[in-house]
Amino acid sequence: MQCKKYDIPENLYYDTNDFWIKVNGDEAVVGMTDYGQSNTGDILYLELSSGGETFKQGDRFGSIESGKWVGNLTAPLSGLVIDNNNEVERNPRKVNADAYGEGWMYRLKLSNPDEVKSLMAAKEYSEWVAQQINSEEEIG
Amino acid sequence: MQENWRLLDTGCLPAAHNMALDQVILNARSANLVPNTVRYLQFAPHCVLVGYHQSVELEVEEEYCREHGIEINRRITGGGNLYWDESQLGWELYAPKNTPGIPRRLDDMYRLMCESVVAGLEKLGVKAKFRPTNDIEVEGRKISGTGGTEIGDAFLYQGTLLTDFDVDTMINALKLPIKKLEDKQVDSFKQRVTCLKEVLGYLPPMEQIKAALAEGISEVLGITLEPSGLTEVEKKAFKQELPKFQSEDWIRGLRIMPQENDLKVAEHKTPGGLIRVSLRLDRNRQCIKSAFITGDFFAYPERSIMDLEAVLKNSSCMPADVLNTVRQFFITHEVNIPGVDVEDFYHALYLAMDKGW
Repeated sequence: MQCKKYDIPENLYYDTNDFWIKVNGDEAVVGMTDYGQSNTGDILYLELSSGGETFKQGDRFGSIESGKWVGNLTAPLSGLVIDNNNEVERNPRKVNADAYGEGWMYRLKLSNPDEVKSLMAAKEYSEWVAQQINSEEEIG
Repeated sequence: MQENWRLLDTGCLPAAHNMALDQVILNARSANLVPNTVRYLQFAPHCVLVGYHQSVELEVEEEYCREHGIEINRRITGGGNLYWDESQLGWELYAPKNTPGIPRRLDDMYRLMCESVVAGLEKLGVKAKFRPTNDIEVEGRKISGTGGTEIGDAFLYQGTLLTDFDVDTMINALKLPIKKLEDKQVDSFKQRVTCLKEVLGYLPPMEQIKAALAEGISEVLGITLEPSGLTEVEKKAFKQELPKFQSEDWIRGLRIMPQENDLKVAEHKTPGGLIRVSLRLDRNRQCIKSAFITGDFFAYPERSIMDLEAVLKNSSCMPADVLNTVRQFFITHEVNIPGVDVEDFYHALYLAMDKGW
């Protein structure tokens, strides 16, 4: 699926912080969406939390820098970090180049899989992205 | 009716105090405990600040700083290494990200924030303008650099304003792409920045500068600024946060990823003259951290080389990307350099990048 020029794969969940979430049982892989990386611009630094750390949905679990702006990475679901992508920390441009592939950030063990219900499916996220683009165009 | 924002002037403070206040005020704004705020800040003693994700070791001439009483600290915002002496003025804006009229898209937000300061500078008789990604310049020379961050739903956007600036100390205190260069080239580097005193021929009193910026910010953002102080909540939080910002753990950075800041210099002879390129590279991140280009060629428009340096800063150092960046730049900026073409610039950059790969 596409919204304007942005890819939105149908087999993933999404949140309003522009994360994609691939759920497999009580585990999930998390990364930034195509729209999210485009909005952020060339990513210069990523700081990811380490394996073994636990987070609640909405907690800050890393930071991202582009264009002299330090943004927060916000946990889309509660859980334990099983693994983080060291390669993308070393070379954050991989998020820009391959947001849904080599640009993945975390593998999580979910502590509350019911939270998945709070995420958006591809169609819903596509509508949300379209709204964001429209409001950006209105502000100019 | 215009929205009221707080105008806060915290005067001259040590680096750790100013960095702690950034955190405290942003936290307080995020928790809706304080109004939207414009803060002026100054530093005493002079200091060097690295960006949130930067390595002190790679960005700062630590021995020089120690010998000259220059403090070192880390910002909570992004961007590069900065030298602040007592004469510089910092400006900051704190507000929610969904503030009406403030774009959500970062590039648009940078432009609006910088244009509010540009409007202030105009009150002083300075014709400045926004230079993407997020600098303010006067005739191609940088007078204000900016950066930002966010906590929860609130953001902090901040910048420096060079009023009267000691360029030599800056060059000595920071690791810049000009070490090992001859005096003539260092002089050329100094032309990349300017300050109010140089532009106007005199230095207006600080109070006049602050009033002009406040007027410009108010006009562009459509707000009314009301002078006020820190709240009791902020004062209490400041006492709690200060030790963190004074600690070596914060200054050195506990989670700084391995990075590089290699200086690479190359020359390329063309029919139009010699091109000298000096780059700071982080090859792990495939990134040109900064670029400095000189030579004995003639570029039209004259400022195009400084604009090219700005475009190359933080861009990809993969050869195909560099060629694309330089080609696009020559097309969009209508650059004309007799006897020198796009491929010559690419070749000079490639020679520098190729060293030590």
